[in-house]
Amino acid sequence: MKMSAEELRRTRPRSRLLRTAAWATAALVVFSWMGGDFGLEQLSGERRLANLERFTGELRPWPVQQQGGFDAGSTADWQTVYDWAAALMADGGSTALASTAAIAVLASVLAALVGYLACWPAARNVARPAPFFGGPGVADRRPGLRWARWAWSVLNHSVRALLLFARAVPEYLWAFLLVESLGYTALPAVLALALHNAGILGRLGAETVENMPPAPARALAAAGASRSQTAAAVFPGLLPRLLLYFFYRWETCVREATVLGMLGVLSLGSLIRDARAGNLYDELFFYVLLGALLVLAGDLLSALARGLVRRA
Amino acid sequence: MSSATDSRAGTRRAVVGAIAAAGLASAALLSAQGQLALPGLDSLELLARFFSHALRPALDYGSPFVPVGAPPLLLQVATATWRTVQLAVAAMSLAVPVALLLGFAGASAWWRLPGPGGRAVLRRLGPLVYAPARVVMTLARSVHELLWALLFLAAVGLSDTAAVLAIAIPYAGTLGKVFSEMIDEAPRDAAVQLTGSGATAAQAFSVALLPRALPDMAAYSFYRFECALRSAAVLGFFGPETLGKFIRLAWNESLYAELWTYLYALFALIAVSDMASRALRQRFLGETPAR
Repeated sequence: MKMSAEELRRTRPRSRLLRTAAWATAALVVFSWMGGDFGLEQLSGERRLANLERFTGELRPWPVQQQGGFDAGSTADWQTVYDWAAALMADGGSTALASTAAIAVLASVLAALVGYLACWPAARNVARPAPFFGGPGVADRRPGLRWARWAWSVLNHSVRALLLFARAVPEYLWAFLLVESLGYTALPAVLALALHNAGILGRLGAETVENMPPAPARALAAAGASRSQTAAAVFPGLLPRLLLYFFYRWETCVREATVLGMLGVLSLGSLIRDARAGNLYDELFFYVLLGALLVLAGDLLSALARGLVRRA
Repeated sequence: MSSATDSRAGTRRAVVGAIAAAGLASAALLSAQGQLALPGLDSLELLARFFSHALRPALDYGSPFVPVGAPPLLLQVATATWRTVQLAVAAMSLAVPVALLLGFAGASAWWRLPGPGGRAVLRRLGPLVYAPARVVMTLARSVHELLWALLFLAAVGLSDTAAVLAIAIPYAGTLGKVFSEMIDEAPRDAAVQLTGSGATAAQAFSVALLPRALPDMAAYSFYRFECALRSAAVLGFFGPETLGKFIRLAWNESLYAELWTYLYALFALIAVSDMASRALRQRFLGETPAR
């Protein structure tokens, strides 16, 4: 049967869901821009531009500014910049850098521990009277199992709801609530980061468990292995995937750990906040750059580790 | 078992061991700084008071000091929620087109498609385009949106437009990076076939390569929209009248019941967008993006 291009175009499969979504998105974008108080004049204006000019001028290291910038005839050179940076690093910069990295690492490890434990009861193929049967298992249908079915379903749904709540609240907000109530130490910051990311890793882990090839787990279950024995046996097969997820979340943890300091916890963020409070824009810029470097280092490490896991 | 399987398991074990060691070292460092000290009982009491209001969010103002002319609480909540959506949508509508441009420029698949004549020049020129694009994306995304907001705040003040830009800049970088990776990772067999039978690189790219990457790209954009909602909410801490601002105000005045109302609004917002984007994602691929 031959069809013209026009016929092919007319009979192509269409999805009402996708069309509705496309129109809804377009409408939402238009409403958002029209309903808001947006305008380029909010970025320009005489006073703002003067402010911007002062700001960019003050981004240069303070000793450089004092010595007349980098123009000809100025005494400032790279040694000046280096000494300034070294002084900032010695004066709390390196401590903050180390604690930022430590917060990120500890939080992502805790998140993985909690999330990858919670993913088992959150997986629909595990939290049922006869696990790993995939789909509505035959063994689940026996009438004697009605209460067991109900209990597993309650467990499954409550773990899922907890994970959803943990990840729906942004880490900065968790950190605000925990830091304000538990005090200005790294502990609440770590807990906040871990909580949000445990929600994400738990959900991704549950999906990994649900999507794994069912045959090995079924064979084990049929041979009489218990739920936890089966889980332990299939775990190494899921590990590469779970590690990839872990490293993606670790990247965001590094980004967030910098920022959480703005709530008063010792990290690069607290130095940034202090610099901003004192209008020390050169220091602010330095610490922002330092944070960006840390993020880059984290991304690089993650990319290397992911490559290692992929090849393994 | 072959030795290849053994070495694979060995690599995995080494990676897991390194992660555990790094976690322990971090805990040791932080506790040496006295940063992991357990909180006192009174602070736990405060936290308990906060969580005890979880099941009874406020439907009306609880404090006797309500400013004259303040809208009803629920209207206030709805307005803050809409403001959050507005900021996120506006930011995404800027970030996605920019990320498409940057992502295409930053992908190297485009430059490496095999084919007849003239392609050698392209291959030589490729790095001149994708290297700068990648540098721009890296710079944009390695500074957190809240830090962009802080920089804007210091430079020109955090107006609504500046808030949109503060989210849009790092999001364009992240989206662009992932877009370019998706284009590069898309299966290339069909494109190679087409160039083999005489198609130009542009034709092969737009017919055989791009359509295979598009579902992934769309799914990832939906996921980032959810992240943008969270970012927009948090940006309220710095001025814009989104959910974060009211959550901070409620906490500062110890109005925990009202705080939970705002928290539940945020929760509902994220849950709705999560469900909508999952429905759309399943249409496309049936999987969740991890990044």
